Amino acid sequence: MSIEPQLLELLELIGTSEAQNKPVRPDELAHELGCSLEDLEKLLENASKKGLVERIADMWRLTERGRIEVQSHRERYIHEKYGHKPGFLGRVTRFIDGSIQDWRGHWRRRHGLDENSLKGFYKNIQDLEGRVEETSSLIELYPGERGVIAFALGGYGLVRRLADMGLTPGTEVTVIRNAPFRGPVEVSVRGVSLALGYGVASKVFVKRSKGTD
Amino acid sequence: METRRRITVALAGNANVGKSVIFNQLTGLDQVIGNWPGKTVERAEGTLHYHGYTVKILDLPGIYSLSAFSIEEIVARDYIATERPDVIVNIVDASALERNLYFTIQLLELGAPMVMALNQVDFAAKKGIRVDSEKLSKALGIPVVPTVAITGTGMDELLSTIVKVLEGKIKLTPLKIRYGKEIEDRLEKLELTIREKLPDLSAKYPARWIAVKLLERDEDMMKKVKDSAPGLEISALASAIAEEIERIHGEPSPVVIASERYGIASGMARDVAHIETPPKLRLEEKLDYITAHKVLGYPILALVMAAMFATIFIIGDILVNALENLFENMLIPAILDLLSAALPPALVNLVSKGFLSGIAAGVTIALPYIVPFYIILSILEDTGYLPRVAFLLDNPMHKIGLHGKASICLLLGYGCNVPACIGCRIMETQRERLLGGFVTVLIPCAARTVVILGLVGRYIGIPAALGLYAFDLFLVFALGRVGFKALPGEPVGLIMEMPPYKMPSMKTVARKTWARTRDFVYIAFPLIIAGSLVLEALAVTGLLWSIADLMNPLIVGWLGLPSIAGIPIIFGILRKELTLILLADLSGTLNFGQVLSPVQMIVFSLVTMIYVPCIATIAALVREFKWKKALAISIIDILLALLVGGVAFRLLSYF
Repeated sequence: MSIEPQLLELLELIGTSEAQNKPVRPDELAHELGCSLEDLEKLLENASKKGLVERIADMWRLTERGRIEVQSHRERYIHEKYGHKPGFLGRVTRFIDGSIQDWRGHWRRRHGLDENSLKGFYKNIQDLEGRVEETSSLIELYPGERGVIAFALGGYGLVRRLADMGLTPGTEVTVIRNAPFRGPVEVSVRGVSLALGYGVASKVFVKRSKGTD
Repeated sequence: METRRRITVALAGNANVGKSVIFNQLTGLDQVIGNWPGKTVERAEGTLHYHGYTVKILDLPGIYSLSAFSIEEIVARDYIATERPDVIVNIVDASALERNLYFTIQLLELGAPMVMALNQVDFAAKKGIRVDSEKLSKALGIPVVPTVAITGTGMDELLSTIVKVLEGKIKLTPLKIRYGKEIEDRLEKLELTIREKLPDLSAKYPARWIAVKLLERDEDMMKKVKDSAPGLEISALASAIAEEIERIHGEPSPVVIASERYGIASGMARDVAHIETPPKLRLEEKLDYITAHKVLGYPILALVMAAMFATIFIIGDILVNALENLFENMLIPAILDLLSAALPPALVNLVSKGFLSGIAAGVTIALPYIVPFYIILSILEDTGYLPRVAFLLDNPMHKIGLHGKASICLLLGYGCNVPACIGCRIMETQRERLLGGFVTVLIPCAARTVVILGLVGRYIGIPAALGLYAFDLFLVFALGRVGFKALPGEPVGLIMEMPPYKMPSMKTVARKTWARTRDFVYIAFPLIIAGSLVLEALAVTGLLWSIADLMNPLIVGWLGLPSIAGIPIIFGILRKELTLILLADLSGTLNFGQVLSPVQMIVFSLVTMIYVPCIATIAALVREFKWKKALAISIIDILLALLVGGVAFRLLSYF
């Protein structure tokens, strides 16, 4: 089932408000989505017809199916950015990846993530504050931009090594510079400069902070 | 007579905090550098005498954590936990307090008696960071001595503090590291069980530390626990607890624990460090900006390398001429005169040709290039330029399954393969090191450059010589890729500290150069001399010529070289530049244009460039990777040289 982007965004917003236990009013939803109240009504109606949302005590909530939809949307988004495979072959595999059904198996087989890292990853994307689109991988930040680490997705060894160097979730990092041609990214974290290889940096997901230095 | 007490002090800390500088300041030249038993991790040990104590100082490898990620980390923590040095000096970079305290916290968890050297306080002040050492000392419950290692400031106080701690004049009340409630409760439970059920292991390591390591899912500790009697039960319990923590936090349990440690470290750093607004763009930052720049960085890198090798060759050349003169015209004749009086002529011949010319060759040909190379290398290292090189060259290195740090080894290789091979230790895993060593020995070192320039450069032209270099780089990448695919295991990504630029201290540079040169002499000279003796013995007995005859089909038939080229190639195993000298000797002329055709020159240079690294490099390979792998690399290189040489001969003959 393919879902139009605006509807997904709506689901994301409802999901976030649920996770934070802060119900949102319809006008806020409409504002966030940048559409009119009538359009929102139509969207919600459409969503509930598809069985993605339900109205309980005057509040819109995600149904189980909606939750699954949000999760796989988030997975797909993260996957787009994860450990970038450049070149033609990369694009071909990405094209094939576009129709992944069994995400868990895909992460395990193609990206070598074990059950433990996956468990953490799923909890991470569930607890994500705000929409997943606000999360970017470290390689997307421009020099001078700052971000707060949301999570690092990788094998135990990598994640642990990153943590040892001070890149733990919740830590603010500032990108100092990138090397050309998919070279490393230099970041400043806890008062120290670290160079992270392109592959490593693309596995560190941050929430961009507003404003630059 | 006063009785001297022997004590052991271990220096522990992150990389780039000035640990080895403090080690050098404390021990002077009285140091022994070797390996940890069974490990390819450098072990530096020195002795000093202080107020009636004989202090053995041990420099532990520079690490960021006591997890079991690298061999260095395991070596360091096993040493601290099981050998129990009398005092540990934790060397901390005052300008990067938070990250350094993270390591300090782990040392505290190991429960070792500890003194902190708060180093680089001058540099921190320049960055606008002032650390209140007394406050820090109170917070940690251990003495903190501010030091500036490069100038030696604070060394005396550091020593007297160590002694006071030993004599009980300073009482240590080390901070107990406590985690958040949901971890702490579980940790205490686990600790109690470990104390109860694993008395042997908890006699060796602190029980709480074992518990923390288990919750961190530390493979090394898991294994140790599983090996002891009721260990399976404990490790199952620990895994269950770790999973609980993971369920609560949604992060791998080691990450949760690291986060908490960093929480403590960052709180403490905020408390004791006073940060003023740093001055405007300082010179170091400007340098940093330019040298790691995505465009400017590369021409600067090329310039630095060109300047480095030009200096090495110019200085080396002057030294070679001076030393050769000294040896050949003065020392050797003098010694031979002395020997002739006592020994039969055949023996004198053997000694002179084998032994003496072995030493002479080492001193006159290898050292003049190696020593300037080491000096420049130490300067580049101490300024902090090498990490920038690794940063700029990370991407191409990934193509051969290595990361940026390997580019440093390759660059070293252009000077001499011996330090380059040993330099592969900067790589994190055994797989990376082996791969690094494998490609490094293919890099034409200074000696091979002499051959390439002296033959191809001089008689065919510099473009042809550069072509050979380019071809060599191609080979490095092609073979690196093959090795990358053939070796099992996942490549490791780059995670590297970029230390700020610093002014190097000439004293440290001199000491490093001395230590490395000594190291090189120890590895290389015995083999050069032994090799010279063997080859000379073969020559005296006439066996050499039979071997040369046996090799004829290969040399003449396959490679298309004149028959006399075989002997120089055999001797080249000793030192590659010898091939040229011998070729001149055997052909009786210095004008190689009369002996070899241009195609033969290229083939000869190619073979010399690729086939086995010299005997000193083989020794370094053996030291780093053991016999089997060293032999495998050497054989691959010989076969490759023959293949490339033969193919080149056939291809080039068409033109």
